[in-house]
Amino acid sequence: MQADPFQIASDALAGAGGHVSELARPFLHFLPVSGASVSTFGPLLGAETISATDRLAGRVDELQFDLGEGPCWDALGSRLPVLQPDLTASSPSTWPAFTSAIRAENIGAVFAFPLVFGPLDIGAVDLYSIDPVTLTQEQQQQTLELSAIVSRILLRHALKDHALDNAEGSAEPTVFSRRLIHQATGMVLAQLGISAGDAHLILQARSFADGRPMRDVAQDVVERRIRFTDIDADSDSDIPTATDRRTDNRTDGEDSP
Amino acid sequence: MNETLRSERLFDAFAVLADTLVAGYDVIDLLNTLVETCHELLDVDSAGILLLTAHDGLEVVASTSEANSVVEFMQLDADAGPCLECFRTRSVVSLPDVDVDDNRWPEFAATARAEGIHSVYAIPLRLRDTTIGTLNLMRNERGELNHHDIKAAQALADVATIGILQERSARDGSAVRDQLQRALSSRIIIEQAKGVVSETSSVSMDIAFQRIRHYARAHQSTLGFVAQQLVRGDLRL
Repeated sequence: MQADPFQIASDALAGAGGHVSELARPFLHFLPVSGASVSTFGPLLGAETISATDRLAGRVDELQFDLGEGPCWDALGSRLPVLQPDLTASSPSTWPAFTSAIRAENIGAVFAFPLVFGPLDIGAVDLYSIDPVTLTQEQQQQTLELSAIVSRILLRHALKDHALDNAEGSAEPTVFSRRLIHQATGMVLAQLGISAGDAHLILQARSFADGRPMRDVAQDVVERRIRFTDIDADSDSDIPTATDRRTDNRTDGEDSP
Repeated sequence: MNETLRSERLFDAFAVLADTLVAGYDVIDLLNTLVETCHELLDVDSAGILLLTAHDGLEVVASTSEANSVVEFMQLDADAGPCLECFRTRSVVSLPDVDVDDNRWPEFAATARAEGIHSVYAIPLRLRDTTIGTLNLMRNERGELNHHDIKAAQALADVATIGILQERSARDGSAVRDQLQRALSSRIIIEQAKGVVSETSSVSMDIAFQRIRHYARAHQSTLGFVAQQLVRGDLRL
């Protein structure tokens, strides 16, 4: 059996361990693109390029942050892939400044995939190609799958850095708060159809985002004041994209009670 | 319930406890059987168990109601209250009215009141020199527990204690510690499973726990196993 490039990429991601600076490279294993970058932005994590395979990939990110427009913003805003397979043929009317800047760099195609985790907005994966190129449905699907793994790694990494009171690791964990957190974890995993580990991560992230102790967030969940609903547009075969869609909402769909 | 009927039910309960011991058992399930029996046969509104764990701390390992758990957890967090007193003095602590002398454990008294609990009867799980936890009976009414119930509760507590200690001597000490540790991990999954059922069925944590227990009993499964299936999404109640 021939080694599947996608499998190699997933394995590479799994092996990246704590090195988030290595998160972009695996995308090059199975996609016909010149470079990739992974960045965080949105309300939860600060705007930052976490990993870029080359200078130009970093530049694509930087331009979008500087200009406040571009495919990565739309991808996260819509939670859908944004595809521009041929910048030489058509001009997306949505990002005039970004388009002219990117043409100056002789880039022929850009793609952006949202990084989301349950209801949380994490950032985006930006891909570019010097020559115009199309991504197949399968390649898009695989990119979405890898993006989900990247989201989880980024979230864990961010929360690990931030030693916010999280009951299990805090200075004064109480058995009562632990129990509340377990119950809330169960509710969240049922709400989102995810694993207990991921549900716990969602609670941690919420506590991080709100700057509140985890037990307070758990209490709100158990008493049904906070609800997490899955707004992820998941689909197996038909991958909707945000291309050519006017997306005015740059502020994204962070859930709020 | 008249005395004859109650005696019969008590015999049944002992038989069930004995069966669990003979057949090899799960500590959590044994203790759940114990608290449920107390709840069904005695004049109490809830029963709970605090058990000594590997780290030499007490943990709530079984309880028939959320109110009961809350009052026990609260005592662990405050490191004070009648159930802890029972464990430390290795003797029964009877508190027929939580409002009387509430300066002794003010935090406990406030929490108990808030949960609608007005009297507590705590029995040590003790055999000679070894105390492994407490059985905590709580009532919404004030007053002493009647002496029939006291005798029955003491007997049930003794059987459970012997069962756990016998297991401890049959195996080496670390095996029992492992078992208790496993029991506590399954406790985490049980709490998560309560959350799952509470969410999917829009019911309280109490009702969710009842459903999980009934399902486990009806399918002759352990709570831990059923909880795991619920958390993994392999089962819906």
